[in-house]
Amino acid sequence: MLRLEKISKRYSRPDGDRVALDDLSLELKRGQIMGIFGPSGSGKTTLLRIAAGLQQPDSGIVTYDGECLGRMSGSERTRFRRREIACVWASQSWQERLSVRDHVTLPLLVDRCGRRSAERRAREALLACEAERCIGMELHELSDGERQRVAIARALITEPQLLLADGPASSLSLVEQEGIMVLLSSLARQARVAVLITDSNAEALLLADPILYLRDGKLINPEPMSERGRVYRFPSVRPRHAAADA
Amino acid sequence: MPAAVGPRGRMSAKHALLGLLRERPAYGYQLGERLHERLGPAWAINSGHLYQTIKRMQREGLIERVDDAEHDRDDRHVYAVTGSGEAEFESWFERDVDSLQLVRRPLLVKIVLAGPERLEDSLKQIDAYERGCADRLKELSRERDEIPDEDLRVRADYVLLRLGLSADISHLKAELGWARHAREMVSWLLNQDAIWPGVRRRLDSSSPAAAHARQSAREELFGRIAHRRLRPMPDRSDRDRDG
Repeated sequence: MLRLEKISKRYSRPDGDRVALDDLSLELKRGQIMGIFGPSGSGKTTLLRIAAGLQQPDSGIVTYDGECLGRMSGSERTRFRRREIACVWASQSWQERLSVRDHVTLPLLVDRCGRRSAERRAREALLACEAERCIGMELHELSDGERQRVAIARALITEPQLLLADGPASSLSLVEQEGIMVLLSSLARQARVAVLITDSNAEALLLADPILYLRDGKLINPEPMSERGRVYRFPSVRPRHAAADA
Repeated sequence: MPAAVGPRGRMSAKHALLGLLRERPAYGYQLGERLHERLGPAWAINSGHLYQTIKRMQREGLIERVDDAEHDRDDRHVYAVTGSGEAEFESWFERDVDSLQLVRRPLLVKIVLAGPERLEDSLKQIDAYERGCADRLKELSRERDEIPDEDLRVRADYVLLRLGLSADISHLKAELGWARHAREMVSWLLNQDAIWPGVRRRLDSSSPAAAHARQSAREELFGRIAHRRLRPMPDRSDRDRDG
């Protein structure tokens, strides 16, 4: 579904260049929920922005089922992004006075969908994300957990094939974190959406498989990290860790 | 050779009964009583099971009827060990005792499967279990204390009975210790903001109807997304108009 090939990105700064991503490649399949874990400044957000087509890499190619973002014109890319890719960001600058209903329907209204059918689909998406009680509220009234559920509902309303989430559960309590991860993993499993999540906290990536570690712009896949957060089983029946799908 | 240990990890009564009959012939009811008296309360056996076992042992030729004339009532068949019964008992006796079978605790199953919502219920179950064990412990300790002390000569049967009871008593003490530990762990867990991997949470306090609505909304939306493929890019003329 999503393929990043040899992506590099540096930022130039007064004190010298900073490498954000260094020759990084990954492939994400439909129905897969991949977690990327790394300390802040490790390049997680840059990786997601490049995967979303919001930022261009210095070198390397991003393709979606073979479609290459780099070869599209600006407006094509925007259109493609709006239809196929949904993003949930950790810190969202929302217009706090907006109603949840308007906020969730917005992506459909932009896509020239009728208001009535947009609202019907918003209700459905909120219900699917267990946030239906928020529909009459304004954004500033939401709790952190509700905020993330609403953000995911808004991301799903366009029925995307790829969901990119930057620390969707990082500010939440453990119970809420798990709720969000259960939702995202059923999204991957049942809707066959490719899900890529990053977090600086490996515990928040609980149900992702594989969980990769990003450090200094490079991906490493240390076995112990991917073992973390797995259901504990009695040693004699504990299965060997299945190798991540290629 | 029939297994000496039954399907639930308990020793079958067969060899115990053989051993008792070796000491002296008896009729069925007597056998059941003796089993309990000599080996302790864990060996209480219901009469159905007892007579079934006796029938089977008789069929296998391990015991035989040796009714004496004065007992003419049908259920008062007196049994004694046959030669092959002796041999079976001897070969069983020679064999090493299996190491302890681990116990399957229904209480543990309930705690494990209670999930986050019913953890409080399992606390109640733990309390009830502790009470049950404590009552049983008191009962058995009393029974043990009631065995008279030897005065002039050592009575082997008393010593052995005490030995049997002390096995049950130490088992109950261990269970009580475990139950206390379980109560501490579960109460601690209740106060944690814990992760429950793999537990399907029943939706928070919402009615089954609301849960159902969420479930079907999710199936509907996720099903639609699953069956969608990448929308083809519009052809050039569309793009020009859009651009």
